[in-house]
Amino acid sequence: MNFQRVYAIAARKFASLRRDKRMFGFIVIMPALQILLFGWAIGGTPTDLNVVVVDDGPAEQSAIFIGYIEGGDALLVSYSDSMDEANATVENGASWAVFHLLPDGTISVVLDNSNQQVTNTILLEVRDAMQEANGGQLPLDIADPIYGDRDPSFIDFLAPGIMTLVCFMFSTILTTMTFVGERHDGTLDRIFAAGTQPSEVLFGHLGAFSVILIGQVAVVIAIATLGFEIPINGSVMLLFTVCLLLGWAAMCLGLAISSKAKSEFQAMQLNMPLLFPALLLSGILWPVQALPGWLQPVAWALPTTWTAEACRSIMIRGWGLESTSVQLALLINTIFGVLMLAIASRTIRVRQS
Amino acid sequence: MAAISAEGLVRGYGSIPVLQGLGMTVDEGSIYGLLGPSGCGKTTLLKVILGFLEPESGTMNVKGDIPGSDVGYSPQEIALYPDLSIAETMRFHGRLHGMKADRILSRQSWLIEFLDLPEPNRPVGKLSGGQKRRVSLAVALLHEPALLLLDEPTVGVDPELRARIWNHLQEIAANGTTIVITTHYIDEAGKANRVGLMRDGILLAEDTPKAVMDSQSTSSLEEAFLALCRREVKA
Repeated sequence: MNFQRVYAIAARKFASLRRDKRMFGFIVIMPALQILLFGWAIGGTPTDLNVVVVDDGPAEQSAIFIGYIEGGDALLVSYSDSMDEANATVENGASWAVFHLLPDGTISVVLDNSNQQVTNTILLEVRDAMQEANGGQLPLDIADPIYGDRDPSFIDFLAPGIMTLVCFMFSTILTTMTFVGERHDGTLDRIFAAGTQPSEVLFGHLGAFSVILIGQVAVVIAIATLGFEIPINGSVMLLFTVCLLLGWAAMCLGLAISSKAKSEFQAMQLNMPLLFPALLLSGILWPVQALPGWLQPVAWALPTTWTAEACRSIMIRGWGLESTSVQLALLINTIFGVLMLAIASRTIRVRQS
Repeated sequence: MAAISAEGLVRGYGSIPVLQGLGMTVDEGSIYGLLGPSGCGKTTLLKVILGFLEPESGTMNVKGDIPGSDVGYSPQEIALYPDLSIAETMRFHGRLHGMKADRILSRQSWLIEFLDLPEPNRPVGKLSGGQKRRVSLAVALLHEPALLLLDEPTVGVDPELRARIWNHLQEIAANGTTIVITTHYIDEAGKANRVGLMRDGILLAEDTPKAVMDSQSTSSLEEAFLALCRREVKA
């Protein structure tokens, strides 16, 4: 490998990237915007859900129960004397649930169960209020968790996955167009005529893109921690390293796609069937363990699955480099990246007519 | 001495045959004009010389470190980054050839002067078609290679400058540079030391321009080519 040539190619690419001001803004701002939108849109707890209380319960217990649910953000409580009237509000969509406080101290809940997340929020609130009303005497004691908070929020689970996804997606998109055109209009031919090796071309491009990648990963981690106060219990440097390595693997994927694609349209088309499974199968939105058995091997073939797992281990469990999940993520991303580079290298070496 | 010698070259793309048993000899320190209609296989032949394409059969021997710094290649397309300035383009290709910064600069100023190029900070994408073509030629000449492969370098270049380019090529050929040049302007190929008339993947004739014209009893290369084509069709 001739480093002067690698440097020449990196310097050329970086000059091009920097010159395209709109593109430069896009690659810096888009990941930030995306992680902000994810943080705002997904994983928050629903608030101000309308519920109706029909109070036929023992006075003291009812007062504590009502006091509790009135005190929280989750529910907006109104009252009714008649169950028929209360049920009607659920039927016409004005409220999500009716709590019927019964004389024996039990509660009957009638739900509009059309939205699982809403139901979960309501039932969690009912459970806590019941516990309060019964003097904290449920025959169930959940000890302090070993990992995670006592009150886990969905966003804490989601954030490591979303960070993984954003790093993966933008690195792939950034590099997908690299060789489209250059391969067919003689530009690469001219470079190869100078004796440049495909690997030198690829490493040169990776070098230029890495400057952007480092910035993107830093922005993503900063927004997650500072903007959404998502705790990082483990090493921030290790998290940075894992995300960076995934970014590199994704760039190698992008370079491989771009070496195969004959047009920009084709490059985008090749991107879609890769990015969508990465979103759905990597345990980012939903646990991999919930996938049908035959689909699980596919999930574990994606570097994003391992990276999301490692990011959760670092951020929530506070694990370090000694953990298998982190080691595997580093290893799998390296293997994936090298494999993609090999494909890209083979493909750009083959000359077109 | 032959800088390039090929025998019985066969090469196609998939099932489409392009070169069909082509032989050619290019002497060191000479200009070789490769003539023929588009689609006859000129560019494919250049790519076999460059080592980009393996012949399916036949041999191709090229002197020197190719691909590498012994060759200067100017593709038929402009094949330059439009967002880079002329100076950045020179620096990029100079670095690929391992040239020192001061040598790149001195070659650059000479080439800008010689090829009548605008100031070096102008982006290549903003130049006219003829100017782009001259930058493309400048990149091939930049590192003063022993072998120049120029695919249609004079398209859209005005006649005065075209004559100057040919003068320069003749000068460096006299100093030992080997040049293979493809062109549509059949008459300008009269200035080459030897011409190869190519059609359907073979050379119909390969000789000095004068000998080619004499053999067909014509007074121009154009007519000689036409006569050769007619004879080929009859046969």
